Amino acid sequence: MPLPAPLTESQVYHGCPEEKLDFVTTDDLQDLERPYGQDRVLRALEFGAGIQADGFNLFVLGPAGAGKHELVERFLSTHASSQPVPSDWCHVYNFRFSDRPNAIKLAAGEGRQFKKDMSDLAEELGTAIPAAFESEEYQGRLQQLQEEMAKRQHQGLFDIQEEAARNNIAMITTPAGFTFAPKRNGEVIDPEEYKNFSDDEKELIESKVEDLQKKLQQTIQQIPRMRKEVRERVHALNEEMVQLTLGGPIGELREKWSHLPDVVDYLDAVREDVVEHAEAFQDSDNGPPAGLLARYKVNLLVDNAETVGAPVIYEDLPNHQHLAGQIEHRARQGTLYTDFTLIRGGSMHRANGGYLIIDARRVLTQPLAWESLKRILSSGEIRIESLERLYGLASTVSLQPEPIPVSVKVVLLGDRMLYYLLSHYDPDFLDLFKVEADFEDDLERTDECYELYARMIATMARALKMRPLERSAVARLIEHASRLAADQRKLTAHDRVLRDILSEANHWAGQAGAETVEASHLQQAIDEREYRASRVRERSREQISRGVVMIATAGEEVAQVNGLSVLRLGASMFGQPTRITATARPGKGQVVDIEREAKLGGPIHSKAVMILSRFLASRYAGDGELSLSASLAFEQSYGGVEGDSASVAETCVLLSAISRVPLKQSFAVTGSMNQHGEVQAVGGVNEKIEGFFDVCQEAGGVRGQGVLLPASNVEHLMLRADVRQAIAEDRFRIYPVSNVNQAIELLTGLEAGETDSRGEFPENSFNRRVSERLAKFAKASKKPDDNAGVNSGGGEDND
Amino acid sequence: MSYAALTAAAEIAANTGADLLGVFVEEQDLLRSAGFGFSREVGASSGISHPFDPTGLEQRMQRLAHQVRRALASAVAPYGGRHTLSVVRGHVVDEVLALAEPQDLLVLGRVGWSFAPGARLGSTAKGLVRRSPGRVLLWCENRILPQGRVVVFLNDHKEANSRAVTAAAEMIRHSYRPVTLLLGAGSDIPSEDLQGIQRNLGIQESDLRVRSLASTDPVFVARLLSQEKAVQLILSRGCALLQAPGAEELLVALNLPVTVTP
Repeated sequence: MPLPAPLTESQVYHGCPEEKLDFVTTDDLQDLERPYGQDRVLRALEFGAGIQADGFNLFVLGPAGAGKHELVERFLSTHASSQPVPSDWCHVYNFRFSDRPNAIKLAAGEGRQFKKDMSDLAEELGTAIPAAFESEEYQGRLQQLQEEMAKRQHQGLFDIQEEAARNNIAMITTPAGFTFAPKRNGEVIDPEEYKNFSDDEKELIESKVEDLQKKLQQTIQQIPRMRKEVRERVHALNEEMVQLTLGGPIGELREKWSHLPDVVDYLDAVREDVVEHAEAFQDSDNGPPAGLLARYKVNLLVDNAETVGAPVIYEDLPNHQHLAGQIEHRARQGTLYTDFTLIRGGSMHRANGGYLIIDARRVLTQPLAWESLKRILSSGEIRIESLERLYGLASTVSLQPEPIPVSVKVVLLGDRMLYYLLSHYDPDFLDLFKVEADFEDDLERTDECYELYARMIATMARALKMRPLERSAVARLIEHASRLAADQRKLTAHDRVLRDILSEANHWAGQAGAETVEASHLQQAIDEREYRASRVRERSREQISRGVVMIATAGEEVAQVNGLSVLRLGASMFGQPTRITATARPGKGQVVDIEREAKLGGPIHSKAVMILSRFLASRYAGDGELSLSASLAFEQSYGGVEGDSASVAETCVLLSAISRVPLKQSFAVTGSMNQHGEVQAVGGVNEKIEGFFDVCQEAGGVRGQGVLLPASNVEHLMLRADVRQAIAEDRFRIYPVSNVNQAIELLTGLEAGETDSRGEFPENSFNRRVSERLAKFAKASKKPDDNAGVNSGGGEDND
Repeated sequence: MSYAALTAAAEIAANTGADLLGVFVEEQDLLRSAGFGFSREVGASSGISHPFDPTGLEQRMQRLAHQVRRALASAVAPYGGRHTLSVVRGHVVDEVLALAEPQDLLVLGRVGWSFAPGARLGSTAKGLVRRSPGRVLLWCENRILPQGRVVVFLNDHKEANSRAVTAAAEMIRHSYRPVTLLLGAGSDIPSEDLQGIQRNLGIQESDLRVRSLASTDPVFVARLLSQEKAVQLILSRGCALLQAPGAEELLVALNLPVTVTP
């Protein structure tokens, strides 16, 4: 197998030629109207925003800081501006069921007018009705009525009094009522004298008195009925007065709002209510009770008078109350009370007929908010219920406002993991959020993209109100965008990272007193970010340079190789070499992954070691049995190992342990490997290479060291300038390998060797040595005495 | 017992520095009426009839007298004037007239079923109005209008007019109010007499108004008094208005305090 040539400087970095950028500064560039490279999201948004069917709400997926919110809001604002303004909604008092306020829908802007009309009406009621009761007409009629009724009441008493007088009987008022007694000459007869009356006279008088008493009883007992009649007639009179007074103002309002039957019905109910409570309006000094007039108010829940197009609302605290609205309470003398004027609309109300943007993570972390949101979307109406009632914590009398029909398009913003978890675990989710708008993380880097990417940067720079960028700075940013995307053919689309770098570059330009942001300012921003995050990296390198962590960058060693790993700390990541060692002795075909045994290895790493084990068996044992007891360890690694990027290194070091052929320590190896020995791509190659480069630099300078990496990773290289310089000077070499044999040859200097027709490797080849050594192991294993030695854990290592 | 009349009397006594004499009359007819074996009392509110005997009545009378004494004391308390209660037995009108002097003011309240609108003037009030040597104030609790006027009804009897004007002057001395003079149909008042009345009343010319009464029809009079926002009516017992048919009903229906001068 031919050995690969080391990569050239141009292969490890995709520079951005300034001549591709046709401008002097970003001020020469126009803003981008549509976000660049996010066609998939835009098409999804266009579809989702336009479709009318139920459940076609949107979930915009993308990493945090990708600019989802800004893009969605910008898109929806433009889209919504041409749509009709939705209706106003208000709650009014329900005169039949006071705990269930009615909802009334009005055209946009009419809500305010209706509220003012009702406020004016209430004010007018407060003055006009007491005035009507004060009027001479009313007072005259009332007096007439009362006199008439009083006369009727008293007439019976007078009649009895007169009848008594005609029979010489006095009707006398007692402290508590009346009594009858015989009289003569206007005076009551002395009882002693009465005793002298004849029996006939007495009987006559007493029977008359008894008769009068009965009549009096009947008359008095009729008085309550008469009083009730008076009350009814007074009430009827009051109603008549109120009807007459209200006729004008309510009639006008009925005429004005005749196009809305709900309002007309409400006005009729108001009239009936005022009539029913006519007496409460009679107090001209204090006016009608405030509570009575408050019932005629209008609680304008949604006011779209100044809304242009359909509303686009962003709810930054999407809790239950903010979404669905709430019923507030006031404390009065230690008790809580509420009425329909204390109903507050939520963002769902405000967004009704338009769009509501919510952060998915936030809505999920608020108690009951997610359930409320789903209930509103599935039922198509907003039902305001207080959280404490839903939890059963409060049992005070509250309101049940009439539900308001809702037609709102909800746009959730969240990361991909959240979308996939919701899809998997919430059975309602995909029914309600049918439109998936997936953000691109990276954009294609082609010759045609430069202008658009530069315009995107110019748009960002202007939004940030920063200095314009020089062409060289844009070129440098484009190169850095490729580095951030970890791909020579991609550019990062991560909005927040780009904005942060721009802001920082602008700061450094300001510090330097420059009018424009130059490439040096941009580089300074990148370097400063690197430096700020470099404490742990530097400590790690220091451990290596002082020999505390052992890494060899020169010479040859058996069963020892430099692997490469990547550490991610917060937003930054860096690579560093790790020594991987192996042991080999006869055994039963097992490769012990020490990391896994110590519970420091993850499942992917274990899988890689198993693949490696099967690769060994298949390549070197052929039809026979692989007699091997080997072990692999990441030396001085205490934090756990995960991933399969050390497969190639592990294979090489294990083969070195078996064959006892030394490996060059000037190389570091990264790459995953399959069961056939083919090398596969891994992540973090730039950081790994730069990490090893730095270690070499600190170990006495870079002199002929290098890295073996999968050939399929070459396109991902965007290396630092000093590394590129060393490559140009042939002090540092990067070899793209596609098969483990290439790695073996580069690390040992021996031919790896392919099997011939008999299945044997060529003489003196590396693989032949491995094969022969394994054959020795197999032979040793077959001796019965040896088995006892293996089982007892003794015996020789790497022999 | 009318607490409102008692309070009004206490206030007038305090304003004029007079003593307040309460008269509690144990009506002879009432005492006698309890003495018959067949006597029963019919409750004014319930209409239920129950036995009525002298012992029980005596006890009730004593309780009432005690209540009156306490009410009198508490009515006078805010002003600190002198007061006495005279408890007598006999006919109300006779007993009161026996105690009354020409310079005294008799204050009568409306109690019981005579309080209701449409009721007639009671026999006691009628008797005292007709026979009192001094003024009689038929008190009636009403709403005091801030701009209300005192209305004095004049007739062609100079001395009677003079007594009515004097009564009005005394009244407004303590609480200033404009005055309306009400003249009978066809009568007029010479300007010098008018000036004299104004001087006697001690008010400004602008606060004195003269109105003629085209008719003594009770409804017409009531309307006119309402227009004038009358807070009190003063008239002499010889005036045409009191002689007109329906005058008693008018006095009750007016719902106004009325002072009748001899």
